[in-house]
Amino acid sequence: MKINYKYLLILACGLMTLSACDKLLEFEPGDVILAEDALKTPEDLQRLLNSNYDVIGNLFDGRVQVLSELLTDNLSFPEDNNDYAAVYGRQTNFFTSTTNGVYSDFYRAIYRCNTVLESFDFIEGLDDAERSRIEAEARFIRALCHWSLVKLYAQPYNNTANNGHLGIVLRLEASQEPLGRNTVGEVYDAVVADLRFAHDNLPIENSFYASRLSAAGYLAHVYFLMNDLPNASLYASEVINSNAFSLDSDLDRYEQDNISTETVFGIVSFSNDFRNDGFSNNYRSDIGTPVLSMSESVFSTFSLNPSDMRNDWIENNNGSYFSTRFNGSNYFNVPLVHLTGLHLLRAEALAAQNIDLDVAVADVNAIRTRAFGEGINQLPMDAAAEVIINAAREEMFKETICEGVWIDYLKRRGTLGEEITIRNAPYDCPGMALQFPNGETSVSGFQLNPEGGCN
Amino acid sequence: MRTKIFLLGASMVIFLSSFVHAQTVKGIVSDENNLVLPGATVLADGGAKGISTDMNGAYSLTLSAGEHTLEFTFIGYQKQSKKVNLAAGQTLELNISMKPDAVFIDDVVVVGYGVQRKKDVTGNIATVDSKALTALPTPSFEAALQGQAAGVQVTQGSGLAGSASTIRVRGTASVSAGGDPLYVVDGIPITQDYFIRGNGGAMNNNPLATLNPNDIESVEILKDASATAIYGSRGANGVILITTKRGAKKKGLTIDFTSRVGISTPATLPNMTNTEEYLQLRQEAWENDGGTGYVWLPNYTTADDDAETRALAYKEAMTRDIDWVDRTIGTGVKQMYSVGIRKGGEKYGLYAGLSYDDNQSYLLGNGYERISGRINFDYTVNKWLKAMVSTSLSRGVNSRIDAAWSGGLGDAMSNALPFYPERYEDAVFDADGNILHPADEYFIWRDEFGGAKNPVGYRESFKSWRNIENRSVNNLRLIMNPVKNLNIVASGGFDWMFLREEIDEEPIPTVRDFSQSFLNVNYILNWNYSLTANYDWDLLEDHKFGFLAGTEFQRSDSYGYSEEVTAEVPTPQRNGNPSQFSFLSYFGRANYTYKDRYLVQATARVDGSSRFGRNNRYGFFPSVSAGWIVSEEDFLKDSKNISFLKVKASWGLTGNANIPDYARFGTYSAADNGILYGNEAILFPLQLANPNLQWETSRVIDASVEMGLWKDRVTFELGVYNKMSNDVLMNVNVSPSTGFTNYWDNVAQILNRGVEFSIKSRNIVGKFEWTTDFNIARNYNELVDIGNYTPDAVSGGTNDSRVIVGKPIGSFYLVEFSHVDQANGLPVYLDLNGNETYDYDNAIRKYVGDGLPDFIGGMTNSFRYKNWDLQALAIFSVGAKIFDSSAKRQLGVVSSWNMRTDKFDRWRQPGDVAEFPILTLDETKYGLDEGFPWWNTSLFVYDASYLRLRNLALGYTFQNLKVKNMTFNNLRLAVNVTNLFTLTNFPGLDPEVARDFENAQDRNLSPNVTYLTPPQERSYNFTLSFAF
Repeated sequence: MKINYKYLLILACGLMTLSACDKLLEFEPGDVILAEDALKTPEDLQRLLNSNYDVIGNLFDGRVQVLSELLTDNLSFPEDNNDYAAVYGRQTNFFTSTTNGVYSDFYRAIYRCNTVLESFDFIEGLDDAERSRIEAEARFIRALCHWSLVKLYAQPYNNTANNGHLGIVLRLEASQEPLGRNTVGEVYDAVVADLRFAHDNLPIENSFYASRLSAAGYLAHVYFLMNDLPNASLYASEVINSNAFSLDSDLDRYEQDNISTETVFGIVSFSNDFRNDGFSNNYRSDIGTPVLSMSESVFSTFSLNPSDMRNDWIENNNGSYFSTRFNGSNYFNVPLVHLTGLHLLRAEALAAQNIDLDVAVADVNAIRTRAFGEGINQLPMDAAAEVIINAAREEMFKETICEGVWIDYLKRRGTLGEEITIRNAPYDCPGMALQFPNGETSVSGFQLNPEGGCN
Repeated sequence: MRTKIFLLGASMVIFLSSFVHAQTVKGIVSDENNLVLPGATVLADGGAKGISTDMNGAYSLTLSAGEHTLEFTFIGYQKQSKKVNLAAGQTLELNISMKPDAVFIDDVVVVGYGVQRKKDVTGNIATVDSKALTALPTPSFEAALQGQAAGVQVTQGSGLAGSASTIRVRGTASVSAGGDPLYVVDGIPITQDYFIRGNGGAMNNNPLATLNPNDIESVEILKDASATAIYGSRGANGVILITTKRGAKKKGLTIDFTSRVGISTPATLPNMTNTEEYLQLRQEAWENDGGTGYVWLPNYTTADDDAETRALAYKEAMTRDIDWVDRTIGTGVKQMYSVGIRKGGEKYGLYAGLSYDDNQSYLLGNGYERISGRINFDYTVNKWLKAMVSTSLSRGVNSRIDAAWSGGLGDAMSNALPFYPERYEDAVFDADGNILHPADEYFIWRDEFGGAKNPVGYRESFKSWRNIENRSVNNLRLIMNPVKNLNIVASGGFDWMFLREEIDEEPIPTVRDFSQSFLNVNYILNWNYSLTANYDWDLLEDHKFGFLAGTEFQRSDSYGYSEEVTAEVPTPQRNGNPSQFSFLSYFGRANYTYKDRYLVQATARVDGSSRFGRNNRYGFFPSVSAGWIVSEEDFLKDSKNISFLKVKASWGLTGNANIPDYARFGTYSAADNGILYGNEAILFPLQLANPNLQWETSRVIDASVEMGLWKDRVTFELGVYNKMSNDVLMNVNVSPSTGFTNYWDNVAQILNRGVEFSIKSRNIVGKFEWTTDFNIARNYNELVDIGNYTPDAVSGGTNDSRVIVGKPIGSFYLVEFSHVDQANGLPVYLDLNGNETYDYDNAIRKYVGDGLPDFIGGMTNSFRYKNWDLQALAIFSVGAKIFDSSAKRQLGVVSSWNMRTDKFDRWRQPGDVAEFPILTLDETKYGLDEGFPWWNTSLFVYDASYLRLRNLALGYTFQNLKVKNMTFNNLRLAVNVTNLFTLTNFPGLDPEVARDFENAQDRNLSPNVTYLTPPQERSYNFTLSFAF
């Protein structure tokens, strides 16, 4: 008996060695999907595409717009936020975490767009129309991200004759290969190509997602900054003339629950999903002292004309000037391309080409009518081109205050030869291009922006 | 000392009856420390008569009258012979003090999956006995390894109770993977994650804190590949084998009791400025910047306030002077009680230990309380089967306070300005007469990040915080001996760790009007099974073989959930999926000994790990080693001087797989990730796949010589090694334009090369004894290659340590400070070409030093006179630099941080030669960017060499003290002081620093960076121990 037990036990131990197999080493992470299983159905692909809207929703909730606004002279020095101070001071470096975060997020979306574009062959049951729409939406967002990056991290288009100055890394494939920076010209070419593809392939109607007119709206803006005015006015007209949108009557484009009638493309918020924190957390002055306050010159500009209903957008709080545009609501939708902007853009584009001045005047007057009331402060129908341009700019400045647009207009004018200085520094002093993140230098060879030089 | 194997326990009493008058020799056999030795053998006349000493070390032999020779022997001690001449009827008392045998022939050491005779070991193994582990109170047992073994760098944790030390065996060979040695308790590789709770409150979780040092019999530190390759993929950073106490067979009952009480004070104190000094410096800065009138004061006024408002605030501030450091520290009380019971019967051995340790630190509100119990039971079932059970249960309760950057003393050293009151003295009203702050309300100030601060308020009222750690390490081992010389060992282990963090926060005036509480729970289940067989085969008299073959499987499942309860948003408890890993291994070892003097060993291990993909799932880790005991050769056998001489050498491969469990997988968010856009679900990639991820592998060559001189009066060991680590794992910062920021990859190559020397000398023997143990080690560390990456590819948390090819791991990468310009007081930097510049620019950061020492070591001097003993343990570190990262604010741009009085040495007028530049509130004056006062320059890189008297102990031992009917053996009273003094040129707090780390990479990269880190404690203790 004893012997039996003995060998039984030893045999049992021996069996333990045999039971070992590779299965014992297979653990897969829970709470996640393995990459190889993630994209199988059209729904999966649609969800991945939708995640790009999520990324840009978190970027354009005010985060990006604030950075652009900080480069203008529209804000006063942001004392309580070191990173904003660095942007304002045109002294970002590769440790500035706020600008680094924005940069990484844009490329996160670009990677996802590229993944969408490279996944069609693995998706079963995707019909051609869907494929075409998804492809066009992905390229739309990729263009939006590349364009936003090149505006923030490089000197503007036309700042050199052939646009051979350094832009940003153009990522047209979901690759992990470290890449150097492309020229600004190359980036704009890619942006235009993506947007034109999107324009030609997106549906006319697409809920609050990118549509054919969204792409047209962006093309108008991109061409405008390239100073390709015929194309700028062409695409602006396509949107305006589509009659799909109408100017919002009450001046407030940042609406809760409803999307403003003039929103051509924008970010949407819901009571369970706020996509406006970048604005609310920095500008709201009805729940405490905001992080960002407006400059005195902005306040003066707004208070010049007492009948301007937009004067309420800037309040004087014991010598501090706060924006009120984002007060009152915990959440609201954020228009990115809107009819107001396209009217004013077209007005300037047409006037600069000296064509269709009546259309240009009407564009400006439509905005002024809403701001001042019927018949007040209107441009005469025979206004000279230069007068129209100045009026369009004046309205653009006011209408887009805090929207992060003005800096692009200033830089564009700088590239056209106008002497543009912002807080005593030229529009293209080195620090006006944000510094790239430290992570880009983890591989040797990446060329950083020159720093400072603006103060 | 290792387990004392009382081999000679059997009595050999021969009854002689022919004498009418009995003559007796009796006495007590004790060791060099006057501790009695039960089970020592006393033989008379070459074995004609003999006896073993009893539990009190006493013996009594009845002999015939006349001359006799008595021999006293005990394992690990030198044999002693005494001649006695007994008169008829005489009773002679002969007490014997045994001398330890430094290189005892049958002394055994614990090695991977077994024991070996120390003499036969061809690897490099250091042993630390239980006495050294319990000689001084430490936050956690591993701190006591400091200074005990050559080449084992132990950097003790901070003054926080329960804080973890960092241990590096022969340098740092990892970048992002964990660089700590593998800890194995009674054969089980235990859970040893330092980052279960991240870096909350500026403290990392210490997985070793729950181990009771009083339960530990010995600790073996395996250093070279010959010793560690049997642990394969986890041996690259050394292995620490912990063996707990067990009962010995055929022994009676012994009970050991130890108690210690003591107090804790800081080893050193920060020299913060008082109100008058601070305001004077601040005012000077203001005026240097062109300000007029009184300077504005943080939390009271701003630069834009009018002169009158500023003056009022300034004058009011001058009326207060609060020493915030004093309000965050005090005297901690320590108490420890431990009882250990050993009992051995015919068939069984039992050890049971129970201990309570309450270890308050000098930081007010901070203490670590541990209660632990252990039962180790061995039972011999029959001739071929023995069962060994080890089980322990411990509970540690850490009463937490914020420290360093998180608050407490850290606040007192940074944002707590001396004119801030602790509480409002009088009520404060607004313009309408409404009460804003009632009298006695805590004054809350804001730091520069907007954080609400007041360390006293947080400690006394706003926050209560405790971490509870329960742990149980269990093991069942069956040892089968089916045929002669074959042992089969089946072992099953289970290590259970449970952490529960409870944070309760009360309302804070002006910040939050509701209470909130947080609960974080983690538990880790760790199973281990192994089966080994070893066979000793003595082929011929001169040829001895030993074979070991085995297999092992380990699996660990980590669970965690958090619960947040606030008045506004209660979140429910959520149980996540576990994070799991497993290892499946096969290993073998063969030893061959020829003529007891030529030794060869080969080991091999095949390791498979779930952390690596199929492409590189299994790793092969072989080693070979050889030794030659020269002193056994005829030409040395009779040497008067050389009593022992052995040379040995080894080569082997070891690995490191200590990375996150799922680093290899490409993953997407779960389908139900809960994130929506436009109220539609989204799916997104989280992590890139790396199916080629593999072990980092170290190729280690080691050679050493062991020598004993003059009958081992002096013994020493000298070793050299070369360790080249390849495919070192890095969690590299990838270009963010790829859409990701980090990626695990096998990238780097690291060289560690060094010399180790240890010596033990019994300088004086006799009535007065003096013994010296000394060890010193030099390690050269160099990052050989990181491919196409730059120094910024990885960084140590928030520290400015980087990877620079040609420099050690964790080099400080800062702007080089040159001097203060005598003409204008501005700081002058050196650019990459060595040219002077006023421009502080990140692009000119460079290597300015590193935290790795040139030499480390320890020295223990032990003195004994009669019943008195004195021990002094000194440790030293030479050549390391320290980056005083908080000094850049304390001694940099004048800000809302308090300053240190060192700052007085500043430039004031042209011609001044000063350590610090002109005072300013404007960081741009120092060339920094506006709003960015973080002045990361080499000005704050200091020499961190130190010599520290770690422990000084004085004891008195009573042998066999009788109190009424009780007999106490070896009752010892001792007093000791830790960290009595430290010799260093470091002007900051503590030159020995293991700060709070962000992750394993930070732990590897940022040795010797201090950031408001609480200094170590100085403790004064009284110890009482006895056995009966």
